Amino acid sequence: MSIALPKPLDASPPGDDRTARALRWLRWRQFRNMTGVLASDARLRVSMIAFCSVVFWLGLFFLFFGSFQFIAMYVDLANTIIEYLFSMFFLSLLVMLLFSTGIIVYSALFHSRESTYLLTTPASADRIFAHKFGEAIGFSSWGFFLLGSPLMVAYGLTRNAPAGYYLMFVAFLLSFVVIPGSLGAIVAVVVANVFPRRQKMVLAVSILAGLAVTTYVGLQLWRTPGDALTRDWLGSVLNRLAFCQHPLWPSRWMSAGMLAAAKGDWTDAGYYLMILSAHAGLCYLSAAVVARDLYRRGYSRVQGGRSSRRRAGLLFIDSAVHRLYFFFPHPVRLLIIKDLRTFLRDPAQWSQFLIFFGLLAFYFLNIPRLGYGAQSAYWRNLVSFLNLSVTALILSTFTSRFIFPLLSLEGRNFWVLGLLPLHRDQILWAKFVFSASIALVSTEFLVVLSDLMLKMSPLMIALHVGMIAVLCLGLSGISVGLGARLPNLRESDPSKIAAGFGGTFNLLVSLVFIFTVVTALAVPCHLYFVGQEHPETARFILSRSGLRFWLTTAIIASLALSAAATIIPLRVGVKAFQRMEF
Amino acid sequence: MIELRGVCKSFGSKRAVDHLDLTVRPGELYAFLGPNGAGKTTTIKMICGLLAPSKGEVLVGGFPAASQDAHRLLGYVPDQPYLYDKLTGREFLKFVVEMYGVGRTAGRDRIDELIDTFEMADFIDELCENYSQGMKQRVVFASALVHDPRVLVVDEPLVGLDPRSARIVKDLFVSRARSGAAVLMSIHLLAIAEELADRIGIVDRGRMLTVGTLGELRERAQHDGSLEELFLKLTGNDLPRTTGPGSRIRSETST
Repeated sequence: MSIALPKPLDASPPGDDRTARALRWLRWRQFRNMTGVLASDARLRVSMIAFCSVVFWLGLFFLFFGSFQFIAMYVDLANTIIEYLFSMFFLSLLVMLLFSTGIIVYSALFHSRESTYLLTTPASADRIFAHKFGEAIGFSSWGFFLLGSPLMVAYGLTRNAPAGYYLMFVAFLLSFVVIPGSLGAIVAVVVANVFPRRQKMVLAVSILAGLAVTTYVGLQLWRTPGDALTRDWLGSVLNRLAFCQHPLWPSRWMSAGMLAAAKGDWTDAGYYLMILSAHAGLCYLSAAVVARDLYRRGYSRVQGGRSSRRRAGLLFIDSAVHRLYFFFPHPVRLLIIKDLRTFLRDPAQWSQFLIFFGLLAFYFLNIPRLGYGAQSAYWRNLVSFLNLSVTALILSTFTSRFIFPLLSLEGRNFWVLGLLPLHRDQILWAKFVFSASIALVSTEFLVVLSDLMLKMSPLMIALHVGMIAVLCLGLSGISVGLGARLPNLRESDPSKIAAGFGGTFNLLVSLVFIFTVVTALAVPCHLYFVGQEHPETARFILSRSGLRFWLTTAIIASLALSAAATIIPLRVGVKAFQRMEF
Repeated sequence: MIELRGVCKSFGSKRAVDHLDLTVRPGELYAFLGPNGAGKTTTIKMICGLLAPSKGEVLVGGFPAASQDAHRLLGYVPDQPYLYDKLTGREFLKFVVEMYGVGRTAGRDRIDELIDTFEMADFIDELCENYSQGMKQRVVFASALVHDPRVLVVDEPLVGLDPRSARIVKDLFVSRARSGAAVLMSIHLLAIAEELADRIGIVDRGRMLTVGTLGELRERAQHDGSLEELFLKLTGNDLPRTTGPGSRIRSETST
């Protein structure tokens, strides 16, 4: 079996154009092959995603359309309000795109295997950057398109805008997203060079700074003097939002350009489009130059910055878990400890958990200052159910983002668990206990805090405590069960698993579950309290005995639904998990 | 072709490579040996321009390792090869041909030739996501050779290959070296190094312990045994423990 020597090849140095063409061809070919596979193997999945997207888009469209019609008909300051609304909307998106593109560019350039491969080819650093930047912009701005397009179409229809307005929107959009994307990319490359071992710290500080600014603005708006929705009050609110109208904000150029286009004022619209696109070009060029000079150096520094820190044993947590869950078999307790350690050692998990639930706790603690406690029983009841719903919704994003992918991630290392002397269903039960425990501890605390701040009666506190408990169990059952039924064993990135079909489906089921349970219990209470407060205007009123009957019925129905939401997905998951081949 | 002069690389307080000198000449097959954590992969990543040395100089074909000129000369097979899941093997090879600026016709012929050499015709038009480890490894080897590199760097080349594919790869290393390419191979299979290498370098804790032909290493170490015994002697682990202290006590007690 001798190998013939190959003839020397005529390999001219590849021009940058040829490399760029090769990378474009690569992207196109990947896209074509992927759509081909999806069309032949996953038609149902694609149809469901398309259906959900259309429903979501239409829902937003009708919401925005109704809002614009309301503003146009009833409010004197309609044009000014819409101008401010657009400026705030685009400014918020600018900040969000800055963060999201920065994070995506960072992981795409410094932690993806494709970048490692491309860096060993003759492609220049700025060419690799351009390739990964395009991908990052696509990932980070599709949500912007999904959110922004119904808004702009609704506005265009309200104002009877000419057809050119819609074309202008696409041109404005493409220029706009490049600006925060490029700035985020510059920050990502600089962070890799300057803080190669502190990137998570930089991210945490940036998020905290962003939250502090948002909280400050929110409090300023909240403290606007005057009666709500009066002309003076609206004027004061707009004054406090004047910062979003600063002429140097790209969001201001975008909103002014779109408003001009809606009026058919093409001179102004073109002027703002040119400003926006020129700045987009400048920002991208700056990012490409920074990448050309610093990308390779940053990559080397990030790869060289691996942590050799020894991890503490967390023995006290181990013994606490063993004591707390003494009634579970020993292997299940060990699996819970494993997941708990992974959770505590992954800042992405606990930091998001802490930030969201911390913000909620901060808001609940401020309830007395906001004056809700002094309001009538009707308002306090309404706010308490809203608080409970928000807590459950945030919990559902947590279970979808972190609990749902657990089984998929476990599947990649299943040879470890598969060879242990335990039943497969025990693995699922351990995940369920882990998820439900974290959920129960955090949400029960928040719900009790909210109710105490609202001075709710012990009966209502008990009702809410029970409600959030069944929601925790149900959401954990759904995420663990569907995680086992719809795993993605090819993917190692939990965020991509959560963003895939299974994760999206899990989130939708969770939302429907929360909506059903909360509505079933909130409606009887609402009808009772509205009768106490406005007996003359309310259409449906429940008496005390009526409340007792309907609440008991709702509690029994919610318990049955929660039991079903916990047990059915877990049973489905256990069956699928036992059949699964790894 | 490959030259490292006084190269150091530190990860925080840990020094992974410590004043390393290494030269691989054209036409030479160099086996780079060392225990786990000795700094082999770090050194290879510096040769490929992925890591910058903290100190010293790394040259490939006379060019700095991170330059595009160096990358044009280089073919690299990493220990954990990367393929695009949503490309077929043939599409991936075509992409590599374009990236390295190989002429279209010459590139197509070369791809066909390598498909034939690595016996990939049965699966080359399927998506890479469906490949086994061995199939992936063969495509990666083909991609590293498709532009006829003057320098070939291979990290653990035989992982996942069946005996027939391993034979093909070994023959290819020798033929590449004989055609004038510099081949650097990091490998744990000492028998392969013994069989193929023109020169052997043994590294431990980031430092080069010894370099030379197998005969020179034996002479220097005054040791006539196999390369394995020589390696264990040089790296200070000539008596590997196959049982833990507990087992030893138990076995001693039982006897």
